[in-house]
Amino acid sequence: MSKIGYLSTVNTKMHTILRMVKTSVFAFAFKQSSMAIALVIGSWIPVFADAPIASLETRFKPNSQGVAETTEVPDFQRHVSPLLGRMGCNGRACHGSFQGQGGFTLSLFGYDFDADHKALLDSDAGRVDTKDPLVSLILTKPVDADMHEGGQRFKKDGWEYWVLRKWIEAGAPKSPQAKDAENQKLVRLDVTPLEIQFDARDKTQTLNAIAIWEDGTKEDVTSLCRFSSNDTSIANINEKGLVTSGEVGDTHVVVSYDSAVVPVSVLRPVGVPGQLRQQIANSKTEIDRLVLKKLDKLGILPSGNATDAEFFRRVSLDVAGTLPTSDQVRQFLDDTSPDKRSKMIDKLLASPGYAAWWTTFLCDMTGNNDDQLRNFSPLAQNSSQHWYQWIYARVAANVPYDKIVEGIVTAVSREPDESYAEYCEKMTEINSDKTGKSYADRSGLMYYWARTNQRTAEERAISFAYSFCGVRIQCAQCHKHPFDQWSKQDFDQFERLFDGVTANQNSYMPESKEDVEKMLTDLGLAKSLKGNDLRKKLEEVVRDGKTIPFPEMYVRLSKIPDSKGKDKKDKEKNAKKQAAAQKKYPVARLLGAEYVDLSTVSDPRAPLMEWLRRKDNPYFAKAIVNRVWAHYFQVGIVSPADDLNLANAPSNAELLDYLANGFIEHGYDLKWLHRTILNTETYQRSWTTNETNQLDRRNFSHALLRRLPAETAYDALRIALSNDKEAQSLCALESDRAMTMPGASAQNKNGKYGASNYALTVFGRSIRESNCDCDKSSDPSLLQTVFIRNDSDVLKAMNDPKFSWLAQVAKEHNLTPIRTNAEPSVPKRMEKAQAVRTSEDYDRDIRKYRKQLQILESKEGSEKAIRDVKSRLALSEKRLQELTLAKDKSSKSESQSESEPVYLSNVSPKSEGRLSDEVSAKIIEEIYLRTLSRKPTSVEMETSQKAIAVAETPLNGISDVLWAVINTKEFILNH
Amino acid sequence: MSIHNYCDGMKRRDFIRVGSLATGSLTLANYLRMADAGQVKDGYATSGIFIDLSGGPSHIDTFDPKPDAPEGIRGDFKTIPTCVPGIQISEHLPKMAKNLDKYVILRGVSHTLAAHNLGSEYVNTGSRPLASLEYPGYGAVLCKERPVASDIPAFVAIPNSGQRSGFLGIQYAPLNTGASPQAGKPFNVRGISLGAGVTVEQLDRRQNLLKDLDHTFASMENRDQLLTGLDRFSDKAYSMLTSERARYAFDVSKEDAKFAAQFGTDSFEQSCLLAVRLIESGVRFVSLRVGGWDNHTDIFNNLSTKLLPKLDGGVSALLTGLEQKGLLGSTSVMVTGEFGRTPKVNTRATLGGRDHYPRCMFMLMAGGKIRGGQVIGQSDETASGPANEAITPSDAAASFYHNLGIDPKQEFQTETGRPIMLVRDGNVIPQLFA
Repeated sequence: MSKIGYLSTVNTKMHTILRMVKTSVFAFAFKQSSMAIALVIGSWIPVFADAPIASLETRFKPNSQGVAETTEVPDFQRHVSPLLGRMGCNGRACHGSFQGQGGFTLSLFGYDFDADHKALLDSDAGRVDTKDPLVSLILTKPVDADMHEGGQRFKKDGWEYWVLRKWIEAGAPKSPQAKDAENQKLVRLDVTPLEIQFDARDKTQTLNAIAIWEDGTKEDVTSLCRFSSNDTSIANINEKGLVTSGEVGDTHVVVSYDSAVVPVSVLRPVGVPGQLRQQIANSKTEIDRLVLKKLDKLGILPSGNATDAEFFRRVSLDVAGTLPTSDQVRQFLDDTSPDKRSKMIDKLLASPGYAAWWTTFLCDMTGNNDDQLRNFSPLAQNSSQHWYQWIYARVAANVPYDKIVEGIVTAVSREPDESYAEYCEKMTEINSDKTGKSYADRSGLMYYWARTNQRTAEERAISFAYSFCGVRIQCAQCHKHPFDQWSKQDFDQFERLFDGVTANQNSYMPESKEDVEKMLTDLGLAKSLKGNDLRKKLEEVVRDGKTIPFPEMYVRLSKIPDSKGKDKKDKEKNAKKQAAAQKKYPVARLLGAEYVDLSTVSDPRAPLMEWLRRKDNPYFAKAIVNRVWAHYFQVGIVSPADDLNLANAPSNAELLDYLANGFIEHGYDLKWLHRTILNTETYQRSWTTNETNQLDRRNFSHALLRRLPAETAYDALRIALSNDKEAQSLCALESDRAMTMPGASAQNKNGKYGASNYALTVFGRSIRESNCDCDKSSDPSLLQTVFIRNDSDVLKAMNDPKFSWLAQVAKEHNLTPIRTNAEPSVPKRMEKAQAVRTSEDYDRDIRKYRKQLQILESKEGSEKAIRDVKSRLALSEKRLQELTLAKDKSSKSESQSESEPVYLSNVSPKSEGRLSDEVSAKIIEEIYLRTLSRKPTSVEMETSQKAIAVAETPLNGISDVLWAVINTKEFILNH
Repeated sequence: MSIHNYCDGMKRRDFIRVGSLATGSLTLANYLRMADAGQVKDGYATSGIFIDLSGGPSHIDTFDPKPDAPEGIRGDFKTIPTCVPGIQISEHLPKMAKNLDKYVILRGVSHTLAAHNLGSEYVNTGSRPLASLEYPGYGAVLCKERPVASDIPAFVAIPNSGQRSGFLGIQYAPLNTGASPQAGKPFNVRGISLGAGVTVEQLDRRQNLLKDLDHTFASMENRDQLLTGLDRFSDKAYSMLTSERARYAFDVSKEDAKFAAQFGTDSFEQSCLLAVRLIESGVRFVSLRVGGWDNHTDIFNNLSTKLLPKLDGGVSALLTGLEQKGLLGSTSVMVTGEFGRTPKVNTRATLGGRDHYPRCMFMLMAGGKIRGGQVIGQSDETASGPANEAITPSDAAASFYHNLGIDPKQEFQTETGRPIMLVRDGNVIPQLFA
């Protein structure tokens, strides 16, 4: 077994620094040096920083009599709490449940040391009895399977027992090390090795974990860590940290201790590593180099280059969400310049499709949900349109990403120096234009903060972390995050940064209230009007061109009563007097960074934005580059893309760092990011696979087949079925597109966007509701298949007499249009009646009518009756002729059809001239170009030509081919 | 039916792909061969209905009341006797009380997953969720084991389902109706009847042409679940469109008026009617989902005015209706949420609620060989946990499969060839069938 291992330690200076640590360890051996020192109990002793204290398991190992002889007092935070965690005591099903178990509640996943210490020492419960340690329940219950519902957790002669016992015997202190109530700070958890490479199944490797505390102590805590595997089919890990290899592939095992979560990469190659050295050396871009480097470790050979046609369709759909027209495809395929791909990338990045598609992307990410915007502006129907246009203008102008986000994060309603009246005038004006385009001129996107489902500080904190950090912090709302460093306290302090943000139907800054009342009086609106009644009236008056009051989105911080220090009685006594003095701003803190003194800022979102922009912000740049990457490759470098947490390690950390740093260095230039990714060989690889990479889904060795996103799929169908003019207009976004729909929500009942709504729901458009990228879905379903094959929307678009491509073809080639399918049931019945009539029937009729005519002609004044009978006679003669003709032809084609494909056998004969092979070939090529963005193969051409030749009419045949091609897998998949 | 969001904002676990790169994967053809050789045993139920009370219903306030528990635990509701002497349930479930002879109450069911998405995945599959592998839901397994006529969907979810097809592949995923039927109104899933003016001959011709043209990915077809699934959907769509059967099955307004009148007008009750109709038409598995059970606050008003009346009316009519149509013996029915709710009523809000509580919950089972009219399992005096040995969702799943004639220990293989036991740790509960 080969093993690559290195410490994550960077600061080598640490190794030489001497630290003074107060400890009561009796004796221990240094793990890495051979020095052994006898120590004086309870005194300050010198400890080498590079010499970790041996593990608890060793220090508290009972002797042959089953007694641990140490006089060390275990530390609550460092030893007791993690031990309880590792034994599963604070799990969700046990004492970590919010209801506790057997009256004993621990904080879920630990880390609330105060509460846990209190719960253990509750003097009535007897869990920890410092006077009579041996009757403490935490010693007696876990050793006894009968008494303890959670079963036996450790043995009486085990080291775990002795750690707890020694701790209780010493008085069960919270922490002998830290003097105040603050938690001790874990600087780092050094895990070795950080990378494991296995060469066969069932090989093993032990992990070792050293905790490094702020005071300089280092301790082997392997036996106190919790271990888990991200993919047990590749690597298993047991509770002692022993990793066992499984299938080939790569994953991470995760080590957790205190606040630290450390992923360890585990890898077992598929093929022979080292074959790609030359390719790596020759790679043209850094992305390619980093991807190949990882593939080489796995012994995976990447797929080759995609064809021009494949590349063009893929990049058009990915970048601009738009299916190319047949002309564009022809042009691109005919272009012989060597740099045509990169030129096309630039062209697409400058297209309106790019702006619309990435605006939709950012609207998904920021949650532009029309349903949640109903309770802010009195003209709520325009809000999501404003949101869309605000982002669109910026994406189109390639405003740096950090600037866009700043406009959202620090948004307030009013521009600097804008009076309330001016604000209302401006908003009235903006709302008078239905397109909402002029809202883009406002500096901030206030609507982000005005959604009904994001109104509390905690909802806003969660939504902010999701949108701009790609972090799911909601776990820490109630307990320590199981896969990340976040504690409940971290969440609470982070949440405080969003406290003062106000945005609702009636939110006016205090100084605006007078203006509002005056405006309402001037408009002649009664004071008693409130809520929806007022809103209805306002909608009326605004139609008359009058300026109406708008609610404001603003930030106002408030102090809260200081609950610390004084006891209740004291407080009540001096309540009034001291109320002001006791109030202060709550403690607020950036996620994983410093505290923000709320008394010094007017809007805490400013330091929040400043933090996002810092070069060392661990999330801001990574979250967006990873999301964009996931868009282009189906999977993120971190996957799921909106779940950046310590345990969910990137599949290629170097790659993620490179992209994030480059993005920052290029001034958060989104187009740089797109261009850099799209111009790589990695993006331009084929979907066809080889033996080594066919199962790879996370290392980007080939293009993954993926269903078109909802908006793209629907628009692609429309473009493919529309005539050239209409298709061009759709491509140029002169007509409405699914990706120009501003809002989205789960409530699709009103169908305000017409027909597209049903389709987009079926194809899984984002509902922008729950702070999760999973609000949109790319899973295929039976209903989607049924939709393309049979939905009236699709059939209509295909046969539309005005806008369809089929109608255009009919006109160009002078073909009989297909009778529209919307025929009512009456003609259907008639058809049936005719069908049973034979030529004998018609013969009889004709004889009958001729006889009648003879009689009528001899009579006077029967001109009308004669005309009537004559026309019937003519009709019957015509029918008879048709019938005879049809019979002749069907007998001919029957004799030919035996060797034909199945679909030809039940086709009725054509009653219109055949198209020449040349013409039909042209039409078929056009179908392929406008749907699959490529020319048909010779087999496809032949099959299609046959289908057209034998169809009832040429146009019927053409429509069959078009139908078949849009229903291929190739059409609905990006590849 | 609106989509209910849970308190933790998660709707489903993100589908995590297996990162394994092992070759020698099992192909669809192998699956089919296994399925064809499937053990359809005589006398067992042949179809299934799963009712997902999503959000996690309180057990104390429904089927596991504790009238003698202290205040703050027993809740606001009284209990009423059922048609089985000695068994009491909540006063807000009178119809279920009258029909207890048709079903079994499992009490003291217990597990440890207190998050909605994980709990839901557990009760919908019978196996504790793994990070690296997605287990298939009951419906997907049954459809794989017992193929149905091609002109009717095998697995229908009203309006959607927590049951995914997992490692079996998307071709076994349910057809989501997306909407629920309304009383007395025609109901149709859009697009499943042939488009206006399109003839069967035309569709026939086009489908054959499509088969001749759809070859681009032929080299990968057996190796990519996405491609296999799309092919299956294509065949199914064709069969459904060319037959009237599916459309007729979905249209609840075609149901006999007297029979339909047993079901209330609430959309969940109408969904129950639709479920019976679909099973009668040959649909293999129907999954119903009714949300709103995540009552962290104001639990008693929510239960007594909104949730319990429709649960009571819907499930009792469903069981009675199945019996009237002679289908109860061939249909295995299971009703469950993802967990119970805390015995202690929380006091965070003025109108208190109960929080997530997987340690103690209830489930209902009926149909097939199950002997109704009994309570199996028992919770302790405060319904805080099982009184004796716990029943796990895995045990319930094993029993549910057993009732359908499917061996819960049967082994399946994932795409990467990893052998997976259908229900990892469950044992069939013998009393159910005694």
